[in-house]
Amino acid sequence: MLARLRYTLRETFDSFRRNATLTLAAVITAAISLLGVGLTLLSQHAFDNLLARWEGGVEMIVFMNPTATSDQLQLVEDALTAQSQFIAESTYCDEQCSLTEADRIFAGEPGVRDLLNEENILTQYKTVPTDETDVETLRLVSDAFSELPGVYDVSFAEDQISLISQLQSFFGFRLLMLSVFLLLAAILLIWNTIRTAIFARRREIEVMKLVGATDWFIRIPFMLEGLLHGVIGGALASVGLWAWNTQWTNGVQSFPDNSGFSALVVVDGYDKTVMLIMFVIGALAGAIGSGIAASRFLDV
Amino acid sequence: MIRLENVTKSYSADVVAVRDASFDVAKGEFVFLVGPSGSGKSTLLRMLNRQDRPERGAVWVAGRNIVDMPPGRVPHLRRNIGNIFQDYKLLLEKSVFENVAFAQEVIGRPPHVIKQQVPAVLELVGLAGKEDRLPSQLSGGEQQRVSVARAFVNRPLILLADEPTGNLDPATGEGIMRLLDRINKTGTTVVMATHDQRIVNTMRKRVIQLDRGVIVRDQARGVYE
Repeated sequence: MLARLRYTLRETFDSFRRNATLTLAAVITAAISLLGVGLTLLSQHAFDNLLARWEGGVEMIVFMNPTATSDQLQLVEDALTAQSQFIAESTYCDEQCSLTEADRIFAGEPGVRDLLNEENILTQYKTVPTDETDVETLRLVSDAFSELPGVYDVSFAEDQISLISQLQSFFGFRLLMLSVFLLLAAILLIWNTIRTAIFARRREIEVMKLVGATDWFIRIPFMLEGLLHGVIGGALASVGLWAWNTQWTNGVQSFPDNSGFSALVVVDGYDKTVMLIMFVIGALAGAIGSGIAASRFLDV
Repeated sequence: MIRLENVTKSYSADVVAVRDASFDVAKGEFVFLVGPSGSGKSTLLRMLNRQDRPERGAVWVAGRNIVDMPPGRVPHLRRNIGNIFQDYKLLLEKSVFENVAFAQEVIGRPPHVIKQQVPAVLELVGLAGKEDRLPSQLSGGEQQRVSVARAFVNRPLILLADEPTGNLDPATGEGIMRLLDRINKTGTTVVMATHDQRIVNTMRKRVIQLDRGVIVRDQARGVYE
């Protein structure tokens, strides 16, 4: 068993060495395409930060003054309950909940976030309408809330998220398509590299077959080689993603306040998840490309 | 050990390589397949280790009809068959030792067995002391000896040799034949395709003669005609 493992590793790395140029091309293509996938996921997550307070179908938020009394809060709550034909659900987001939300919204502006505390944060009533398409009616009933004591402002999702959503889907779709095509190119390149490696070693493979090596024994070093192309591509893409994310986060912090980019950063560890995803996709792409080549071109 | 029953193999509608061939080879026998180029000798050998399959007929090796053998069983069949070729088919970037060890390595022999058996077989073929040389540093005869060592190192039941002396001068060819004779005397069945008249006439072993894919003669202790 140990002898076979040693043989497999030796053959895999020998093939890497012999096929260096094509291997490099396959790894770079895999890295670029995986970086594309990673950046798509990361940018989607960054856009989600901008939309954090509107998650769960929330269409209207009643912001309460930090100084609002419990009677004033109760008054707003009663008013929301009275509009049950238009408002399906309303949830109170207290100081802690609003501060947690601020962590995401001001992720790129830690200075601004540091100014917020339980004393000055606006608490919120988040409301989900009975008919999410009928925001106009909700707008009409909202006038009643704006006038209530303790209310700071009333915001509508429609006003804030339509541009963000458009941007998110515009960039998300195009980046994803580009990544898919690049990933396909990486799989084809890995496939071609393995095919070339098999061709270069056809004499050896012929001898192996004649002395009784099984197809799997012959195939595994090639499959491992392709798998490594994908994994190394994933590792390079991870380094690239980390560098990109660090640069971007530092850059956003130096932007002027209220630049609109403060939420467009990822600082909650999601980048680590993306790196793991890139590794897995890279390994799968490598295994698929090399697996097909090793199965198809073994008859030498 | 080997039985062919009415075997026919063609490469196209016009080219019939072997036609209705039948013969038996007993364990430990030494058989020459003779005939001019294109008479079907190599095709017969290729069918014996399942590199080729006949359209019709049965090929029995060590008690099994290998024509319909599942592909997964073929490697196990080949572990009992050694192969020697006219062009040696050595791996040029591997040393003599590594070329022979390769045949054991790929079937999963442990390193301590390889370290013990490879030098023994290299000594048998007269290559002791040349373990570290590359094929390019050997003469043709020595390269063929490496090929014989690789074919024999797993102690196969059958040795198939396709024109093993074709690229060698007569004296070197005789050395290879003496080696094959020694291996045959250990109980290994040897089937050798050749059109080297001198070798066949000297060895006086069984001769199966082919002409355009048809067996025209099967003679014990025969000569080349």
